[in-house]
Amino acid sequence: MSHFFLMSVYAAIVSAFFALLWRRSWRDQTRLFLRIFLSMVGGGLALAWLMYFFPSGPPVPGP
Amino acid sequence: MSGSPDAAEPAKLGNPYLAALVAWLVPGGGHLYLGKWRRALAFLVLVLAALAVGVSLEGRLPWHFSGAPLDILKTLGCLGSGLPYLCLHYLVGYQGTVAAAGYEYGSAFIVTAGVMNLLLVLDSWDIAEGQKD
Repeated sequence: MSHFFLMSVYAAIVSAFFALLWRRSWRDQTRLFLRIFLSMVGGGLALAWLMYFFPSGPPVPGP
Repeated sequence: MSGSPDAAEPAKLGNPYLAALVAWLVPGGGHLYLGKWRRALAFLVLVLAALAVGVSLEGRLPWHFSGAPLDILKTLGCLGSGLPYLCLHYLVGYQGTVAAAGYEYGSAFIVTAGVMNLLLVLDSWDIAEGQKD
């Protein structure tokens, strides 16, 4: 399973949980679910792109 | 004026201690006890789904009550899952596999399941006290 898939599953579960916990009407729940889900996935992707500029190890030697 | 019949206290839906205990033992159980069966079912599915994904990824099920403070906190967070956590620990003997590819992700899912259930305990308490619907 890819990192992105797992991140999306995690975001979906957490978003659904808080939408059900904090809102009562179906419309409000859907709106909060989308807001949290998109924030988590979008934030994760933004952080991943920022980390692109910080290499994690020594450069791989060429052939 | 305090004590007047107009200053009605919120109606209690049930015993908050019992609601909190049931909510801790069974995810969604507190809501079921308080008659919120739809929410109870949804919460049960969500908490168990998080736990199931974590276990399928072979994440860690911590059991540390001494040592590093963060490990103790993580254990307490996971203990929030209640019976599913205790069953995994005592009946199945599950611990997780450090070498598994999904170990870190799985551990995050397992802790999240426990912390979500702890929030459900607080929610059940509030509903039982009549402070929430």
